[in-house]
Amino acid sequence: MKNLFTFVGMALIMALSLFLAVITGDYGPWYFAWLVGTTMIVLIAVAGAVMYEKQDAENQDKTGRSH
Amino acid sequence: MDMLINPTVVELSRLQFALTALYHFLFVPLTLGLSFLLATMESVYVITGKPIYKEMTQFWGKLFAINFALGVATGLTMEFEFGTNWSMYSHFVGDIFGTPLAIEGLMAFFMESTFVGVMFFGWDRISAKAHLVVTYLVALGSNLSALWILIANGFMQDPRGGTFDPNTMRLEFSSFVQLIFNEDAQAKFVHTSIAGFVTGSMFVMGISAFYLLTNKRKDIALRSFRIAAVFGVISTIGVVTLGDALGFIDAKAQPMKVAAMEAIWNTDYNTASAPWNLIAFPDKAAGKNLFEIGIPYVLTPLLTHSEDTVIPGIHQLVDEAKPKVVSGIKAMIALKEYNHDHSNVQALATFKQYQADMGYGFLAMQYAPDQDLKKVDASNLASVVDKTAHETVPNVWVEFWAFRIMVAFGFIMLAIFAFAAYFSLKNEIEKHPLLLKVALWSIPLPWFACEFGWITAENGRQPWTVYNMLPTFVSASSHSVGYMIFSLIGFVLLYSSFIAAEMYLMFKYARLGPQSSHHGHDNAPAGGGMAGQPAFAKPSLAKK
Repeated sequence: MKNLFTFVGMALIMALSLFLAVITGDYGPWYFAWLVGTTMIVLIAVAGAVMYEKQDAENQDKTGRSH
Repeated sequence: MDMLINPTVVELSRLQFALTALYHFLFVPLTLGLSFLLATMESVYVITGKPIYKEMTQFWGKLFAINFALGVATGLTMEFEFGTNWSMYSHFVGDIFGTPLAIEGLMAFFMESTFVGVMFFGWDRISAKAHLVVTYLVALGSNLSALWILIANGFMQDPRGGTFDPNTMRLEFSSFVQLIFNEDAQAKFVHTSIAGFVTGSMFVMGISAFYLLTNKRKDIALRSFRIAAVFGVISTIGVVTLGDALGFIDAKAQPMKVAAMEAIWNTDYNTASAPWNLIAFPDKAAGKNLFEIGIPYVLTPLLTHSEDTVIPGIHQLVDEAKPKVVSGIKAMIALKEYNHDHSNVQALATFKQYQADMGYGFLAMQYAPDQDLKKVDASNLASVVDKTAHETVPNVWVEFWAFRIMVAFGFIMLAIFAFAAYFSLKNEIEKHPLLLKVALWSIPLPWFACEFGWITAENGRQPWTVYNMLPTFVSASSHSVGYMIFSLIGFVLLYSSFIAAEMYLMFKYARLGPQSSHHGHDNAPAGGGMAGQPAFAKPSLAKK
């Protein structure tokens, strides 16, 4: 039953998202661009930080000392 | 039409609004951008589980809080200013202009303010993921506040969604959809919001550079620098691109603003080779540029994204305004007659015939004998029309240079962010102290760019408060000059004290920085140097 509710809930969110995407895509393309663009900027900045952690870990391995 | 106001009062009202808006806009962009940077840092904390990102979020959050509080304080007075200093404007468009302002207050601002409290004081009260959602809601709420304000501003730039009612003498709401999906509002929101992202990025990057130069908390500084540089370089590309889009939209909706922005006096029908003025000294009185350096083949593709679209010059637009002034005078005379006698069907029909140019009739009032349009006759019509048509030209010098300063700062920041992101991603930023110094001293640049962008948008709208509909000189309240000077001095003193408080607190806490951790970042207790403070003390994410 829980899975059914989750499925229905997710389906509703998807239908609403598609509806909003169509509406904003037709009438508010710049708003849609902001939503997509801001999400992208945040995700790439997060990826940059995660990349820093990897580089930091590699540097620590190279120097053989704990940070 | 007994509604003309002392021109000195109008100018003082304009000065007061410009000053309060410029002051307020010192706080807004940082709130818009820093809120999403906080959300980014906290996202990394939730994804990686590394407490240092929580400490970063809390440290930059403290600077965000200082800015947020003063931004709210300076913003509140502006909403009252519409009623106190711009009562004719508020009467004329209050029905439609007040709606987005009310939604901003009720929805976005309350949402933002509510979740700000949870963001600052909820670290040890809700789960890490729930707190992250709250931080995103603060960022969204801040930007939604800006959205509704810019929808209201978009209406002033390109009035859509309202219909003038000659019975009430008001512009009344006719379409909410047209109001919120106004192309000018959309493009302006995206451009302004992303400009805020650039401001937040430069702020974080510059202060991080200061810590790197002074060897203070390098663990936090390097990570903050990385996030800000990456966030900033993409945002700056976005703001330049969206600025171009906004110019493209303005070229259709406000051709006079664009002609003034580019100091184009005469229409160039050789569209492909039309030069773009890199430098010009426009002289409005002479109707020409006293000096100019133009780059051929740039103007038309830059403004219209084509090679064969004719861009009308200021002189052509003035000529095109003349028949509108004649129609507007007829509309205003008919409107006055209808207002005296609502059974005058002929007057109403005449008004409706010329209603589209009503704003030009308003504008002509200042040049009519005794400011009475009924006294405009064959002997003085040409003079009134000519003066009114020339009145539609904004201050070209200010428009031209404000735009260029904004653009120049935008490209300088793009270069700084590009180098910063490149060297940060290579993990070599510490090897470039000159770049760190440039980043530090570039902190004010986005603020200058934002302020000059605002001047470009609003100076270019003159002489209208609502473009082509309501002139500025009839929009103000009928205060005395003494009252305006007294309140202006009051605002300057009050807002200057706000700025001084902000600068003092920002410098104090930025110089202090996140306090040193003696355990290294991976072992640092959540809350780090701020662990002694109750709201920030306890980790809510146990996993490392």
